[in-house]
Amino acid sequence: MSDPAPSVLQADGLCKTYRMGGAVLEVLRGASLSLRSGEVVALRGSSGSGKSTLLHLLGLLDRTDAGEVAVQGRATSALGQAARARLRASTIGFVFQQFHLLPELSAIENVLVPRRLACGMSWFGQRGAERARAAELLATVGLADRAKHRPNQLSGGEQQRVAIARALISEPAALLADEPTGNLDHRTGEEVLDLLLELSQEKGAAVLLATHDRGIAGRCDRLLHLEDGRIEQE
Amino acid sequence: MSLVHLAWSYFRSRALLSMSAVAIALGVAVMFAVLAVINGFLAQVERTLRDFSGDLTVAALPERLAGRDELEDYLAALDGVDGVAAVEARLNHYGLIGRRGARAVDDPRTTDLSGMLLVGLDQLPAGMMRATEDPEAEAEPFPFAQVPAGGLLVGKVQAEKAGLAEGDLLEVISFRQGERGYPVPVRSSFRIEGVFTTGRYDLDIDRAIVGREDLAAMLGSQAGFSELGVMAAPGLAPELLVPRVVAALDEADLNPDAFPNRVTTWRKQGGNFLRAVENQKGILSTVFFFIVIVAAFQLVATLTLTVAEKKREIGVLGALGASPWRIVAFFVSLGLVVAVVGSGAGLLLGAWLTDNLEWVQDEILGERIFNAETYIFDQVPVAVDWASVGLLLAGTLAAALLFSFLPAWLAARLNIVDALRR
Repeated sequence: MSDPAPSVLQADGLCKTYRMGGAVLEVLRGASLSLRSGEVVALRGSSGSGKSTLLHLLGLLDRTDAGEVAVQGRATSALGQAARARLRASTIGFVFQQFHLLPELSAIENVLVPRRLACGMSWFGQRGAERARAAELLATVGLADRAKHRPNQLSGGEQQRVAIARALISEPAALLADEPTGNLDHRTGEEVLDLLLELSQEKGAAVLLATHDRGIAGRCDRLLHLEDGRIEQE
Repeated sequence: MSLVHLAWSYFRSRALLSMSAVAIALGVAVMFAVLAVINGFLAQVERTLRDFSGDLTVAALPERLAGRDELEDYLAALDGVDGVAAVEARLNHYGLIGRRGARAVDDPRTTDLSGMLLVGLDQLPAGMMRATEDPEAEAEPFPFAQVPAGGLLVGKVQAEKAGLAEGDLLEVISFRQGERGYPVPVRSSFRIEGVFTTGRYDLDIDRAIVGREDLAAMLGSQAGFSELGVMAAPGLAPELLVPRVVAALDEADLNPDAFPNRVTTWRKQGGNFLRAVENQKGILSTVFFFIVIVAAFQLVATLTLTVAEKKREIGVLGALGASPWRIVAFFVSLGLVVAVVGSGAGLLLGAWLTDNLEWVQDEILGERIFNAETYIFDQVPVAVDWASVGLLLAGTLAAALLFSFLPAWLAARLNIVDALRR
């Protein structure tokens, strides 16, 4: 039997509590999971169960109260903000329910944002190549002729395609998608999901997909269920 | 640099940021124009001072101190002094002029007489031009290098004031030293050989140029000169020439202790006036730079508003891998883009203003804020001092950098998750 694929994201005993006024809300109570290279995992749970919180912790956008997140085997709890940002830029891609494109930028400029942030001073040396790659990705998601359009000139489905291209341009090891079809009609949602799964497989990225939708969850390699702040494998 | 490009994209799409750039542009433009006008004024004052007095002026000894007062002694003393390019004798004396035959000569209670500094010269000063009768036409050089015998040149403003023209005969009244020191009135007639213009109101109204020998003859001056104008060799600062000239006069026994400070530079001759203009330049530069600073300061408000409006986008940048310092750098870059665009536009607008100052006064302001009586020049002289402009730009960018930092820091402190949830 061959060795299992290496773990891209590993979460052990994650705890997260929010305090609002006098109320204490324990969202995660020791959630653990492992995401391996190339696999597509669905994360289900009722609304308010903590799916987004878990994705934020795994994506190093927030810090845990307890537990550890390891990215490609590297523990992250002791890392500073800048190191976490660098790790996030190089290994993790995000696709949000609300798309979260920058309204002032065109589609291709939105796709290029992660590269601009990652490249720093070397940007001008590789600008041409990066632009060509962004154009190629936009063509792959079917938006070659919409590269210069701004988000307000694109439909919801088109905006989410741009967001997928943006998430993949840095060729991340893990892609975290938070209800990526939640704001789209059923048909468009299916198309976007097809694209997301196809492209992430092509790029070899592990995908963790938070969703309510049983149909979507059924198309994934594994299904995790978040309940009472813990993860159960279904 | 990639952040600058990103900031540029943001700048182009946010009208609010353009308004900040406009504020900076207006401040820079006004400062540019003010600096150019003050520099032009200063340069013109310096030029006219130098034209009239030479690089150095050596006052002649008064007769009571002079054992000998021949011009040749001075010329011999200064001949061969290292750095002296030329020496010319001048005879300055005060007098009154009036039209020949006018009542003024007979009845000094009328206002037909004008007090003048009569300047007796062998050669016309460099830069002295002949005013033409057509006020729109450019001034032209005189057809002669020295005032013809029996002739006199009168300034343009005086000519207009007294209704004088080329060819008129003028009565000049002055005085000479009589026996036992009493002044004795003298009068003589001169023909106006031309009307000169220096562009400086005060010189064009109270100077009359005559031949030195004519003036000496009228005044009965044996020495025939009251001062010497010394031109320094090109590139030599007049201040460096002073000790050499003083040493040469000492050596020739023409510099008694009882009559010190006889050798002055043109700058010293300008004295308080030049210092006042230089002070004014400093004060106006400071005041107008504060205007630029205030314009740049509203970047704090604009960028803070941008941070408040764009919290979600800042969260997105964080999620895509921007560290807090990259977010600081992004907002500082945004502030710098605003400042660079504003400064660039301000320079262009300032250059246009400077080139079209007369038109702006006539067509926009509706009155001459720079009129010759108070401003002393009939045209507003402008000279761009690029070192000052460089300082202005550097100061504006430094202010923008400073004022962008606070909103940038506020943006960097945002919690990414909270920002994304907005």
